[in-house]
Amino acid sequence: MTGHVSIRLASERVNHCVPCPNELPRFYTPGEVITGMQDFMRGHGTYAEDDSLKSSVAGVMQKVNKLICVRPLKSRYVGEIGDVIVGRVLEVQQKRWKVETNSRLDSILQLSSVNLPGGELRRRSAEDEQMMRKHLQEGDLISAEVQSVFSDGSLSLHTRSLKYGKLSQGVLVKVFPSLIKRRKNHFHNLPCGVSIIIGNNGYIWISPHKQDIILEDNHDEIENYDLQAVKRSDREIIARVKNCISALVASKMMLDDTSIMFAFEQSLKYDNVKELLDPEAMLDIAFLTQHMLNDITED
Amino acid sequence: MPGPDLLSSQGLRLDGRRPNELRRIRCKLGVFTQPDGSAYLEQGNTKVLAAVYGPHQASKSKSSSEGVVVNCQYSMATFSTGERKNRPRGDRKSQEMSMHLRQALTAAIKTEMYPRSQIDIYVEVLQADGGAYCASVNASTLALIDAGIPLKAYVCSCSASMAYKDGVPEPLLDVGHVEEAAGGVTLTVASLPSTGSIALLELSHRLHSDYFETVLSRAMQGCRDIEIILDKAVREHLAEGWTKQDVITI
Amino acid sequence: MQWTTKTFLTKTKRGNVLKIVREHYLRDDLLCGSAVCNICPHKDDEIVLDNKPESICKLFDFEHYLVLDTNVVLHQIDVLEENALKNIIILQTVLEEVKHQNTAIFQRLLEIVGNKNRKFYSFVNEHHKDTYVERNPHEKQNDRNDRAIRRAASWYASHLLLSKSDFDGKIPQIILLTDDENNRKIAQKEGIVCCTVKEYVENITGFAGLVDKLSKNVIPETCSKDALYPAHLTPSQIHSGIRGGKLYQGTFHASRDNFLEGTAVVSSFDKPILLQGHSGINRAIDGDIVAIEILPKEEWRKPSDIVLEDKADDPGDTLEEEALLNTKVDSEDEITPTGKVVGIIRRKWRQYCGILLPSKFPGATRHLFTPAEKRIPRVRIETRQSDILISQRILVALDSWPRNSRYPLGHFVRSLGPIGDKDAENEVILLEHDVPHARFSEAVLACLPPDDFKIPEEEIKKRVDLRSICICSVDPPGCTDIDDALHARPLPGLSPDGLKTYEVGVHIADVTYFVRPNTALDKEAAARSTTVYLVDRRIDMVPGLLSSNLCSLRGGEERLAFSCVWVVDENANVLSTKFHKSVIKSSSAMTYEEAQIAIDDSTRNDEIASSLRTLNSLAKKLKQKRLDNGALLLASPEIRFQVDSETHDPIEVQAKKIMDTNSMVEEFMLLANVSVAERVATDYPRCALLRRHPSPQPHSFDTFLKAARQQGFELDVSTNKSFSKSLNEAVIPDRPFFNTLLRIMATRCMQQAVYFPSGSRTQEEFYHYGLACPIYTHFTSPIRRYADVIVHRLLAASIGADVSHASLLDTKAADALCDNLNYRHRQAQYAGRASVALNTHILFKNREEIESAVVLAVKRNALQVLIPKYGLEGPIYLPSDKFRYNEEEHVQICGDVILRTFDELTVRLTLDSSNLQHRKLVFQLVKPSIPGVSYIADEQVEKMEIEEIDKKENEKKRKESTGGKNKKKKSKK
Repeated sequence: MTGHVSIRLASERVNHCVPCPNELPRFYTPGEVITGMQDFMRGHGTYAEDDSLKSSVAGVMQKVNKLICVRPLKSRYVGEIGDVIVGRVLEVQQKRWKVETNSRLDSILQLSSVNLPGGELRRRSAEDEQMMRKHLQEGDLISAEVQSVFSDGSLSLHTRSLKYGKLSQGVLVKVFPSLIKRRKNHFHNLPCGVSIIIGNNGYIWISPHKQDIILEDNHDEIENYDLQAVKRSDREIIARVKNCISALVASKMMLDDTSIMFAFEQSLKYDNVKELLDPEAMLDIAFLTQHMLNDITED
Repeated sequence: MPGPDLLSSQGLRLDGRRPNELRRIRCKLGVFTQPDGSAYLEQGNTKVLAAVYGPHQASKSKSSSEGVVVNCQYSMATFSTGERKNRPRGDRKSQEMSMHLRQALTAAIKTEMYPRSQIDIYVEVLQADGGAYCASVNASTLALIDAGIPLKAYVCSCSASMAYKDGVPEPLLDVGHVEEAAGGVTLTVASLPSTGSIALLELSHRLHSDYFETVLSRAMQGCRDIEIILDKAVREHLAEGWTKQDVITI
Repeated sequence: MQWTTKTFLTKTKRGNVLKIVREHYLRDDLLCGSAVCNICPHKDDEIVLDNKPESICKLFDFEHYLVLDTNVVLHQIDVLEENALKNIIILQTVLEEVKHQNTAIFQRLLEIVGNKNRKFYSFVNEHHKDTYVERNPHEKQNDRNDRAIRRAASWYASHLLLSKSDFDGKIPQIILLTDDENNRKIAQKEGIVCCTVKEYVENITGFAGLVDKLSKNVIPETCSKDALYPAHLTPSQIHSGIRGGKLYQGTFHASRDNFLEGTAVVSSFDKPILLQGHSGINRAIDGDIVAIEILPKEEWRKPSDIVLEDKADDPGDTLEEEALLNTKVDSEDEITPTGKVVGIIRRKWRQYCGILLPSKFPGATRHLFTPAEKRIPRVRIETRQSDILISQRILVALDSWPRNSRYPLGHFVRSLGPIGDKDAENEVILLEHDVPHARFSEAVLACLPPDDFKIPEEEIKKRVDLRSICICSVDPPGCTDIDDALHARPLPGLSPDGLKTYEVGVHIADVTYFVRPNTALDKEAAARSTTVYLVDRRIDMVPGLLSSNLCSLRGGEERLAFSCVWVVDENANVLSTKFHKSVIKSSSAMTYEEAQIAIDDSTRNDEIASSLRTLNSLAKKLKQKRLDNGALLLASPEIRFQVDSETHDPIEVQAKKIMDTNSMVEEFMLLANVSVAERVATDYPRCALLRRHPSPQPHSFDTFLKAARQQGFELDVSTNKSFSKSLNEAVIPDRPFFNTLLRIMATRCMQQAVYFPSGSRTQEEFYHYGLACPIYTHFTSPIRRYADVIVHRLLAASIGADVSHASLLDTKAADALCDNLNYRHRQAQYAGRASVALNTHILFKNREEIESAVVLAVKRNALQVLIPKYGLEGPIYLPSDKFRYNEEEHVQICGDVILRTFDELTVRLTLDSSNLQHRKLVFQLVKPSIPGVSYIADEQVEKMEIEEIDKKENEKKRKESTGGKNKKKKSKK
């Protein structure tokens, strides 16, 4: 197999910076004094020393009443209840799964927080425990929701809804969690023909459309469906979406269904999906997308 | 001791710097997408890459409920020095460097924030032209900041050495390879300049205590100068990255 | 921070092809140093160059600054040193090239640049953003440097032009001085005014004699026309030759006796390589590092043992026949590897003292110069002042040695004074032995305390007050730098063994109180390293105020001292040692003789006398112990001149007398040195300054043992103990001097004792062979030896009396220091000997003596004899037609007379002044008398002597010339 590999000099690298109308906020860097201590509460990204409140990360200050936080440009995912996440099963343990969710501690999916065949309220038997690996095994990708946050900051997940659960065929894109826009809905069926789960933890799942609504009972059909080969055209679209996301990420643009959709539209002028890997093309797409976004906000 | 002439009679060093001047420092944050934080730093011809992973779940054996475990790995590329040399990871020198890196960085990281977690810092020296340790510390700081890991303050490292001009001792800031190899003592200090505390101090040879103060203060001055440079780089990086984000997301 | 952040990479290649990338910062804050300039932000003290530099050169009638090319500095440093040329810009490119090529010239250049009056400005063109030039691919380094120099010159011109408006257009121009024709051509094309040094200097008005200093530099290999010598190989040929093993690198040593012969020591050969003849030596000069090609074995020779001197008159540029040299080879083992010089790797030229040879043509400018050092060939110089210089000792620098010149070319540097004048002769001795002897500089004198220095009260409080103790010093008569004093007093208690105990103190002048580290005074003292004693002059290490007043422990005056105090029992066992700084008041400064009288005079019972007696008895026990340990009593012939108080000419000479008190002082000094050495070596395992005396090489004793055997003594040299023992037993009752003679000769078989830092050797190597002690240093003469100053500082820091300082503890500095100390020490000894020789010559100027002598060594064509009365040594040449040399036995045989080592003879001493430069004492055999060889002692007979007609004539001439000189002197007075 032959292919063209282009390696360019560092000096010829494309600057992915896309101009943006937002005014620059005031930045704080580690060790910098934010304010004298009086009357303020210290939140994330700050610490108190010598009677003053100092920043511990580099980012912008956010003030909610008396709580002062500094939010860094990027960091590991800090989960909040209700967040939609995409994660990977690391380990099968006693009555629970360990899931990697890009947060600083591994998350936990209790056996009691998953839907098992046979109704939601069924008691978990010892048999179920032995069957855990049948249900989800190491390496499986799942989508889930944050049920609660433990005291040490690790997350407890649940999949007690049909939209959550094991993910089978598709592509996973990892981006920085700070680039994910919080929205009401993180499950989207994009008009271009793919479904997308934008996990709050920065993991984005792109998969082909599931044929409308799948009924609960014909489980077998789902199984079968999962194993069906995906059409080439679908695969190309998935790849295109993936490359669009990469282009937006390279220019550090926020991701939601709108921006991804806009980017997809703009990318269509490039016939070949792989052309999107070209840095100039990526910048072009990001730039045009930003333009479209600006138009919306102006409207 | 008036050995090699590191200072010309005009008060310039071999490479044209004055005794109190740093080498040119260029740096960039976020050079990789895969790690949580990364940075590239050039200090003269010394070029260093640093990548930070984490904080993530610590393996059971290392896990500590007190705070985060900082794990450093220093390595040098085969092509980093004049003579090409295969350097197995974990040889004595890199192990020592890794330990010293860990010591300096742990002093800055707010470790108590993340119990049972671990931060991995990988440093690769691409080109070594003196002061590889200093460059490694400075690059790691940037990578940590890039990863959004809470720090007490910047931790900066700088070296200083001694030379004589007309018989008067004059400390040299930020020692390059030529000056290092010319013999004489090199003092390496890693400090948190904004608090003035010292995280690590190392002397390559014996230095008479008469000179220690002056050399140390010169090295500390260098750390402060480096902090200014790093801070500028961080702010530029923030400005670049922030434009596309909504300011308020709560 | 205000630098331009441009980085340039300079790549260089080394043997292994390493790519080296170095940073090179270009700055915009470098100043041009001109008073004209109103662009550079000069501070007042940063302006070096005048705004109206007057032209002294007829060629240029406008104001100008000079920019020098590297070759100008390298070759014309003597012209630059003259206080004539001013307003000169020295570029960094030039500085670096000079530094790289010749450090000595570099130092001299720095000296000039440092002199504010000379107005030399060093401009850092290599780091200036507008004058830096990058080396083009395939461009030679030299061409790049030339380009950099041109760039800087034209930059200066245009830079100064910018300030034109302020000076009505009258701004200095730039003239580039270069001897490189190529460079000159390109420069002219670029519009730079340039000129050769020769043209420039020859047109200078008002500085006569400057032209003489012009170096006659010719590129040696270019003169292939009428070449007398084979060409040298190029450096790259030499390099590859040495790497390929075809050529060898070595240091060339010219023979003293034969100007057409020399040797070179090459590490891969046991014997030195022999180099013979003009083409074999091929323009190498003593000390040069040369590349040698070894000749095939058939052509190997043995060193000739004839004395060959260059012809007296100027032979012009021709070489004579060299048939004389081809001595027959008798036996296989005598031949030495023979080679020829094919290239010079590094010249080690310095300036040489000597005299001009009278020229055959009056008024000629080309002259021949004969150096005082016989190993150096004559030098051709040009001067117009020959009528004055002909009677002077002069200093000459070598410039080059082209292939078509029989002699190297040089130029006159300066005159040292009239020939025969004692000051001039002393100057020659000092210069030839590299003894720094200039007056102390202002900076050094500024470090001195005031003349009326009184010891401050607080200093006394810090010290142990010993002013009440009866301390005295014992020194040779006339000694003004008294650095040691002693005391002894009985203690009330008894030792654990029930023996009487004494307190014994050695008090050494506290020089380090005055000589503080890193001051100008300290640096000067370190550079001098030692006081040099000439017969009639002392070259002090520290200024006179210290050496003969404030530090000198004079009688009756309060002085600061560093004391070493022991408690010893009556058998001279040391029970305890302590060191402290103290204040003392010496009761009396005595000579050895006075002290001896005080001890011997039983009627004296004062404190001094009893103290001396105690010291004396303890010293004898100490000495005995030392000898029992195997210390060697060595001897060297030492003489003293009695000097005329007015003319300072020596009147009489005698061997030094040794008395009990000499050895008394010596014993305690040894004890102090050993005690201090132990202390500092323990406290400073790496950087203590110690002195070691390596055990001699066994084979160096061979000849000596053979000679002793002929006298019937078997000496055991296996250890110093056995050696000492067998030396003690080797006594011939009716020849009291024989034993001393043995010891003198034994001394010569040994190596020199040297200073070293304790970190550089293992504990075993600290051993002092001669003194038979495991560790030794010098502590007791800080006024006249710098080593002692360092030891004082170390000890003071060790006992907490003073703070240590960085360079004291630096091992690298200690290494360098020891090298210098050893070098200076050796040179001082040689200078001292040369001075003795000079004075001996003066002494024998108008007289002859018949003295008894002993044979020290038997050589192929001479006997080396020693005259015990004067400690003089010299050769008696034996004609080979009368004497037969037996190599096995080392004896000379003539008929029934056999001359052996240790034989006693009678000789006649006269001075041969036929060669002004090398006056020498002539030893002639008187007894045993051998017809035709021996001198007949009767003056009546002398006149009838047939064989000695030549000699007589010589002598007459000599008498006339010396007489004439005396007259001259008188008339001068």
